[in-house]
Amino acid sequence: MKDKLLNFNWLMFAAMIALVALGTMSIRSAGLARETIFHGMWINNLVSASLGLAIYFALAAVDYRVIVRYASPFVYGASLFFLVAVLLVGSTVYGGKRWLWFFQPSEVAKLAVIVFLAWMLPFVSGFKGFFLAGLAAGVPALLILAEPDLGTTLALVPAVIAMVLVAGVWSRGLVVLLGAGLVAMAAVLGAVHEAEKPGQDPERRAKILKCVPLRPHQVKRVKTFLFAESDPMGAGYNLRQAMIAIGSGGLRGKGFGHAETNRLKYLPPSVSMNDFIFCVYAEETGFVGSLSLLALFATLCLTGVWSAFRAGDLAGRLIAIGVSTLIFAHMYINIAMSIGLVPITGLPLPFISSGRTFLLIVMAGLGLTQSVNLHRNEET
Amino acid sequence: MADDEVVIPGGYACLVVASVFAAGLLALAVRLKAVQIDSVATLAYSGEKQSVRLVRTDGIRGRIIASGGEVLADNRPVRSIVLDAASFQKRSWGATATNIMESIARACEIVGRPSSLSERDIARHLHQRLARPLSVLRDLTDDEVARFSERSDELPGFTCIETLDRWYPRGSLAAHILGYVGRDRVEGGGGDEKINYRDFGMHGRSGLEIFYDSFLRGVPGEKKLIVDARGFACREMTTVEPKPGPDLVLSLDVDLQDEAERQLAGVRGAAVAIDPLNGGILAIASSPGFNPNDFVPTLRADLYESLSKDPAKPLLNRAVTGSYAPGSTFKPITALAALAAGVSPYEEHECVGYFKLGGMRIRCSRTWGHGYLDMPHALKESCNPFFCDVSLRVGTNGLVAAAKKFGLGSRTGIDLPGETAGVVPDAAWKREHWHEPWYPGDLPQMSIGQGMLLATPLQMARVAAALGTGYLVTPHVKADAPSAKLPIPWPKDDIDHVRRGMRLVVTEGTGRRGASNLNAYVLGKTGTAEVGAGASRRKNTWFIAYAEPCDFAQNGETPLRRKDKTGSVAVAMVVENGESGGGTTAPRVREILRRRFGER
Repeated sequence: MKDKLLNFNWLMFAAMIALVALGTMSIRSAGLARETIFHGMWINNLVSASLGLAIYFALAAVDYRVIVRYASPFVYGASLFFLVAVLLVGSTVYGGKRWLWFFQPSEVAKLAVIVFLAWMLPFVSGFKGFFLAGLAAGVPALLILAEPDLGTTLALVPAVIAMVLVAGVWSRGLVVLLGAGLVAMAAVLGAVHEAEKPGQDPERRAKILKCVPLRPHQVKRVKTFLFAESDPMGAGYNLRQAMIAIGSGGLRGKGFGHAETNRLKYLPPSVSMNDFIFCVYAEETGFVGSLSLLALFATLCLTGVWSAFRAGDLAGRLIAIGVSTLIFAHMYINIAMSIGLVPITGLPLPFISSGRTFLLIVMAGLGLTQSVNLHRNEET
Repeated sequence: MADDEVVIPGGYACLVVASVFAAGLLALAVRLKAVQIDSVATLAYSGEKQSVRLVRTDGIRGRIIASGGEVLADNRPVRSIVLDAASFQKRSWGATATNIMESIARACEIVGRPSSLSERDIARHLHQRLARPLSVLRDLTDDEVARFSERSDELPGFTCIETLDRWYPRGSLAAHILGYVGRDRVEGGGGDEKINYRDFGMHGRSGLEIFYDSFLRGVPGEKKLIVDARGFACREMTTVEPKPGPDLVLSLDVDLQDEAERQLAGVRGAAVAIDPLNGGILAIASSPGFNPNDFVPTLRADLYESLSKDPAKPLLNRAVTGSYAPGSTFKPITALAALAAGVSPYEEHECVGYFKLGGMRIRCSRTWGHGYLDMPHALKESCNPFFCDVSLRVGTNGLVAAAKKFGLGSRTGIDLPGETAGVVPDAAWKREHWHEPWYPGDLPQMSIGQGMLLATPLQMARVAAALGTGYLVTPHVKADAPSAKLPIPWPKDDIDHVRRGMRLVVTEGTGRRGASNLNAYVLGKTGTAEVGAGASRRKNTWFIAYAEPCDFAQNGETPLRRKDKTGSVAVAMVVENGESGGGTTAPRVREILRRRFGER
């Protein structure tokens, strides 16, 4: 027992708790700009976090091998079922079918894919293994994409890549594929740049866009990313307000509850609590706060990698690396889009954005990682 | 670590992942520094620019006070119901406007007075003045305020506020001098780029209100409004308190003003009373008049119609804007010009009832002639042939110069808007305006104040003052306005000869009714100017007077003049379409003088 407590990664736990605290604070601030029912959202967040903490400790206490070996196929199967169900009977919010009753199956699927791959990857190898892993991740990813929820799909990709990379399945092919992916991304960006650059002939624009595998609203976002100043009141509005919010925070920020851009609704209240909550946080806490947040995420993700490095077996290593990368990818894409580093993508910032399912899933994932720490010396 | 531990694959890959994380975090940190540290000024400014609106607020407008302390233009508290559009927000602008419309109807029902706001007004307010309160009902009675306060909890978003309206306690008294104010209707900052809104204050539209507008306004203040993304006001703070405008103290004597207006009641005309010592205006009356209270806050359309279409032009300040032929009131100037040209005050000229030059005849008031007259008696009788005769010795240039020395033909510089200069014609002027050469007959015409010569009542009051004191003053309404004094360049003896004539005018001449039995030493001159020809021929009748307080010898007849001239008055009055200066106007002037000096 004493041994296990020594193996418990307290730093990782502390970073998580600190993030939950900052998240609750940010949700409270963001809610102030909205109708009264949102003023209490931070309490909901605390309740969810308590539930998440219970799940965290429960999963940490159980040997992750048990979960990987016995539970992962069922969890994976169930999440596939829910993903199909949500497409059939889910409720539509902001143009996407994401909600099934009280939770979002796509969030659950993220962890399910990680756990399932942790079970599968140690047993496969070569291109066949790579293909199977791609299939296992691709089916739920396509279902999520159909909701449509590009952001969640995108955030899953790095986690899957990292896991495949760590598992060493068809490494050479993977590297080639990664390179090809980067080239493809550059090609898409280049094509949109060419199509949307000022003064482009509309016919040529249409011709180019026909070849780009993006929906019109996605093209718009990429365009906004490439030409930030082109349409500050239209497509570029959110980004511009995000930049104003974050930038006007300055070094020390405006203080808790004083995120003006949010309070005055220049940052649309419909997004300030979720995808753009970093703006609220950064405006209130300034560069000092932003760096602190980055430091907390660095602690969380790097202790996760450390857990992976020190894991007792490959499955544990895969879980730790998968969960860490999942959190990192969300964090990176979310913050980067708010400051114009990547195109705008609907993706929550772990712990900070309000959203029960995702919070529970992230905490569950960290619980599993903690289990990898606790049970690393046990025999298989 | 146990030696027999199996090597788990992927250790290096973990390091790769960790490096990617580190690189990503570094990229975020660098970019965040660029945004939050390097661009803080521009981005904070953009944020400020989109959410801060500046409002210019007017201070309390200064009052206008007569010399005796009576307040002529005051500020009256007015209670109004206003609404803040932010309380009526709906998803769309259309729904917001409808909501406001319905709420206004409810409020009006409770207060018990219909609102004049139309849907277009609401739309315009949402469009142009969203962040400012919208006035729903103005100038509430006590009952209406009570009804509103009783049920104000049913009317969220509505508040009762108190503002100040201009108020002229004496109504139409001195309306032409005071002028009136109107509501500012300038959108935006009124020329100032920085300012987004201006509170609808009052600005002067005529008279002193416009002449001293910036003085009365004081120093405007500034309010900062924080508006949300849709433009509704969230908070406001006063950054600069407005400074109230100072009171404008006039030299105006309310009693004289009142009397002057009374004397002009029912006729068209104007009167000016001026302090000859310093140029302070004691009264300026113009008839018909108007009530400036009708203009606050805005003039009703029908009233505007009737005022602007009235042939009597009640809005016109005849005293400074009206140009009239001065008629015989000009003769003292001709007399002085003649003295300067070498005419002896004692030399006598024969009047046969008319003056003849070439084919032109100028009649005298006494058709059978005055016989032989010297200068003072010519003034006393207002004998036309005498002055026509001497004018030929003066010449056009001499007469024009004399008229100009008395300030005719140029503005007096009074602190009132719309002053006209009148006309002192000469050959060049006539050629330019009439496209005719200067005929020999033009000179005698001018010598008796007829022809092309035009002067304002204000100018003639100044002439009267100058004849009394010997110097020309700049008239002013504001008590402490700077005033210049220019001596008229004639020897005192010359002026005294003319004064002798003007004294005869009021003691036994044409202006007897202008000073009879007054407790003052009065000089005067009547004038009856004929204007128009044929059927539209009519007479504008004048009287100008200079009066100073004096004592009387024991016989009660001989005035004993004082050294101290304080309390002197110079008056000029013109009555349009009168009978004669002596009959129509002089008695009216006498009443004005009586008001100041009393009767013997």
